Amino acid sequence: MKNLLYKEFKLSVQPLNYLFLAMAAMLLIPSYPYEVAFFYQTLGIFFIFMIGNTNNDLFFTTLLPVPKRDAVRARFVTVIILELLQIVISVPFALVRSRQINAPNMAGVEANLALFGVAFVMYGVFNLIFLPMFYKTGHKTGVPFLVSGVAMALVVVVAEAAINLVPGWKSALDSIGPTYLPQQLFAMLGGLVLFVVLTALAYQLSIERFEHLDL
Amino acid sequence: MTEIVSVTNLNKTYPGFQLKNVGFSIQPGRIMGFIGRNGAGKTTTMKAMFNLVHPDSGEIRFFGMDIRKDEFEIKQRVSFISGGVDYYAYSKLTMISDVYRLFYPSWDESLYQAYLSRFELDPQKRIKELSQGMGVKFALALGLSHHAELLILDEPTSGLDPISRDELLTIFEQIVDREGATVFFSTHITSDLDKCADDITYIQDGKILASMGKEALVDSWRIVEGRTDELPVELRGKLTGFHERRGEFSGLLHKKDLDKASGFNVSEADLEAIMVYSERTAESEKPSI
Repeated sequence: MKNLLYKEFKLSVQPLNYLFLAMAAMLLIPSYPYEVAFFYQTLGIFFIFMIGNTNNDLFFTTLLPVPKRDAVRARFVTVIILELLQIVISVPFALVRSRQINAPNMAGVEANLALFGVAFVMYGVFNLIFLPMFYKTGHKTGVPFLVSGVAMALVVVVAEAAINLVPGWKSALDSIGPTYLPQQLFAMLGGLVLFVVLTALAYQLSIERFEHLDL
Repeated sequence: MTEIVSVTNLNKTYPGFQLKNVGFSIQPGRIMGFIGRNGAGKTTTMKAMFNLVHPDSGEIRFFGMDIRKDEFEIKQRVSFISGGVDYYAYSKLTMISDVYRLFYPSWDESLYQAYLSRFELDPQKRIKELSQGMGVKFALALGLSHHAELLILDEPTSGLDPISRDELLTIFEQIVDREGATVFFSTHITSDLDKCADDITYIQDGKILASMGKEALVDSWRIVEGRTDELPVELRGKLTGFHERRGEFSGLLHKKDLDKASGFNVSEADLEAIMVYSERTAESEKPSI
């Protein structure tokens, strides 16, 4: 697994993936739908797969002395690392945004823990849709990315709508400061749990589909 | 001698194509050519051997081990080379080898460096800068540097100029003679096999027509030619790939039926003739347009 991860970061991960990590700086924009900042990394992950097709990555990997499932596992770990990195790198920007810019975000939820909860759900949904759809064919990336992109947009719309419409959520989840920290922490942990569950499901599905695939 | 590979009753059905009971074995220290026209099933068979395609039934064993159970151990000892190197075209050779060697505990860096200089490969070049022949050499260098005992190559010579082809075939001979490895390669260029193959496995339309020593295969067929109006019905029925034009016929005849061809012009067949005449029969069995 260590060797496959070395291969992933040496050959498969693109400079764009690191560049997109810098999109975390979008959290400094005073009014912006901050979820968008997290979307870019999924675009970067899509590029890994798309460019992987050009590079015959699956063929290269499956010719190595590794079980097919390990090729999937290594790619999952790579995707998860990039997603978590994106979230971790966003934290200092969220802190700067909430402490230094003294104006509410007029375009969406504040840069708080609840936002990270939404980001976790976005990544979980992306993983559940994009990855098993890709591993079903071993080459299709466009439609899986379109479908997962629409699904992530739906997650954002539903989350924003719920925060604004469910009584009490607006003040609890769309605020800055220590008052509602437990509620926001709860929202983030809920998102994290969903991320873990959806990604685990995506992994099972992907492995099953890839095992049956003729290359 | 114990066989290094045995393929038994391999079946795989695709829409419009079928591998039918494919079976053959490869002996160690030999060069086996895998011939058949384009689309005959060579690549599918090779991919199934390497667990890239799932056969519907059949058994594939390397060194006595089942590929489905001992894939890891087998892949350590076998190198599969598809064409040349058709992956990571924009990466430098050194990047590929840096990754590749991690997966092989038996990787021999000094041997790899020796192959690089022997094949005149610049590790700082990118894959896409290699000619096709150089690409195959790079793939061979990778495979040989983890002491692969068996090299499986899918169409390594197609698209190469005659000089590069000859060079590559000479390398195959050296690999077998000096390194003691075994080579199994597919081709539809019969002169490749005339030059270096010890054994031939011939696949036609998903079925193995023959798998034997090259000399024995070539020796078992003759080309018979003569005037059509003198051709007895019995001999006509024995001819493979019967061809007639302007009152003259030609066809391939098995050596055991040679007594039926007395009085006709009989000549030795080469691999190309055997393949062309056999395929002609296969074509004539298909409904005419």
